[in-house]
Amino acid sequence: MSEADTAASPLAGEREPVSPRADLITAAVLLAFGLGVVALSLHMPTFVEQSGTGLTAPGIVPGFHGTVIALLSILLGLRAARRGGLRAGGAGGSARKDLGRLSIAAVLGVIYAAVLVGRLPFWLATALFVFAFTAIFEWPRGPQGRIRRLLEAAAIALGTGWAVVLVFEKLFFVRLP
Amino acid sequence: MLDALGMLGAGFGHAFQGGVVLHAFWATLVGIIIGALPGLTATMGVALLTTLTFSMAHSTAILVLICVYVGAIYGGSRSAILLNIPGTPASAASTLDGFPLARQGLAGRAMGISTTGSWMGTLFGALCLAVLAPAVGEFALGFQSYEMFWVAMFGIVIAGSLSGGDPLKGYIAGFLGLFVATVGQEANHAYPRFAFGSTDLAGGLGLLPVLVGVFGVAEVLNSMRGPAVQAVASKIDSILPRPSDVLRYWRTIFRSGAIGTFIGAMPGLGEDIAAWTSYAAAKRASAEQEKFGKGSVEGLMAAETGESACVPGAIIPVLTLAVPGSAPAAVLMAAMMIHGLNPGPMLAISSPEFIYQIVAMLIIADMVKLFYGLVLVRPLLWVLLIPRERLMPVVFVLCTVGAFAITSRLFDIWVMLGAGLVGFVLRELRFPMAPLVLGIVLGDLLDKNLLRGLVLSDGDITPFFTRPISAVLAAVTLLTLLLSIPAVQAGWGRGRQALQRRLRRAG
Repeated sequence: MSEADTAASPLAGEREPVSPRADLITAAVLLAFGLGVVALSLHMPTFVEQSGTGLTAPGIVPGFHGTVIALLSILLGLRAARRGGLRAGGAGGSARKDLGRLSIAAVLGVIYAAVLVGRLPFWLATALFVFAFTAIFEWPRGPQGRIRRLLEAAAIALGTGWAVVLVFEKLFFVRLP
Repeated sequence: MLDALGMLGAGFGHAFQGGVVLHAFWATLVGIIIGALPGLTATMGVALLTTLTFSMAHSTAILVLICVYVGAIYGGSRSAILLNIPGTPASAASTLDGFPLARQGLAGRAMGISTTGSWMGTLFGALCLAVLAPAVGEFALGFQSYEMFWVAMFGIVIAGSLSGGDPLKGYIAGFLGLFVATVGQEANHAYPRFAFGSTDLAGGLGLLPVLVGVFGVAEVLNSMRGPAVQAVASKIDSILPRPSDVLRYWRTIFRSGAIGTFIGAMPGLGEDIAAWTSYAAAKRASAEQEKFGKGSVEGLMAAETGESACVPGAIIPVLTLAVPGSAPAAVLMAAMMIHGLNPGPMLAISSPEFIYQIVAMLIIADMVKLFYGLVLVRPLLWVLLIPRERLMPVVFVLCTVGAFAITSRLFDIWVMLGAGLVGFVLRELRFPMAPLVLGIVLGDLLDKNLLRGLVLSDGDITPFFTRPISAVLAAVTLLTLLLSIPAVQAGWGRGRQALQRRLRRAG
């Protein structure tokens, strides 16, 4: 098989498909979501008095989307079940080796965007975030050169805080949080 | 014809007035750098740079964003050739022959081919845009609510069918996007849908915060999770494009340009599919098929020309139908709306000169790209060496600023975070992002036109199927939907084989 045949073409489908069990769980979540959207849409007012026909009811379009999502999720669930999603031990999937790194990145991002921004001056919040992010992810490289790396991280952090304020607020007149 | 040339000339004149064109240089450079860095995509680049353009005149702002778009799609080939990692998804096809060429010590030649192919592709696409957009726009003037509803549905269905390899997940992503667009006050009665008493939610989920989340935050998370990018250590030979490559493969360039532009004009498909399709077509037609995947100049040329021709192609439906041809074009369209421009069928009437201004901007961006392609080889190597641990937090900061800047609401930052986390999970579950984005962008169009159509027909749905253009659009949409079902595909294949056998026997 040539390299072209094994390439990750978007037309050729996913190379590493998600497990049937994960698809089954996704289908269940999406079904609940779709039905929830339909239920909320049905509870929206119809404004028949104003429109005369009820054809401009706010719930029509989201109700349609919710119905389609629910129907498609049933198809996804059936397909996953046919592929073995109901079998015990089918949950497996690929091991999440990088879950730790991912969690750290997500938590730092949430702390920065949802906690620090708006409470601290933007340059300071940015500098703290960039320093923490860089320092934490570079820490496992070992003690050799760590001090230098931390100093570099601090310089990058302060530089980013200063540059973002300069470029966005002073140069392009964009309001910062 | 003379009118068109006059307006094109005026478009260039406009770009050169007051040093506006100087913006093209920094914006294209930013685009190339964004494209070259694995983990940063053209969509993210255009979304982030939209923030910087708020205070600019609208023509300057659109020039900046087009330059970023053109530059980023081209920039992705740098890391594809030198690292074997596509800088943007659009450049994935370029790794197949670009990296083998680099391994053979021909990295410079590969980059020269990439520059030539990309330059010619964008030029070809821009000329197609100049010729086709006014005609399509004029045709689209006859569209009413029924047709516009089907245009939106067709966009979701075609993007869902082709953009991710799993049509079922593509459709779900598309309808999730359409749902996101319904959150907030609707147009007829100002009823706050899915607001749950929150005034922020009643204002709706901003397009830009959602896109920045889905493409920016999700990319940051994805990038930090994966293995580190290996540093490049490739010798660079001569980067000057060879005229003999162009002369020898002119058919491939022409074919790939046409394919790229056509795929660009199809809603939601985008540059990656354009590149792969151009590559596959070049391989089928080539006399040197055995070289493909092992360092074929023709293969690299085809992929680069196709993806770059797709950029102007993707802008054709933006200008004529208000339907984006790709994810970056969706953000570009959102930016046009933010700047008070109303892309869509009326553009051909209200400001026909704008179409030619866009053509002029594309050609300027293409020329600047060519310039950087020739002079900016070694500095880009250093850029590629920036560790992700130092780059990604800065990208996250830019995402935050981008989400906040449009309406100055902290709520938009939370929307960005939520969209980023949901987008990341959906990607992990192999849901394609292009239909999701298209759904978010087209949601309002579909919503308004479905209800307007129903009101006009007094609740009768037959005009959606019986008006001539509506009927064609409905038939194409339903056929696309049917052909994406595996059982129908199998039946279609069997039928075609049976027909071929019968024809062979008859012949």
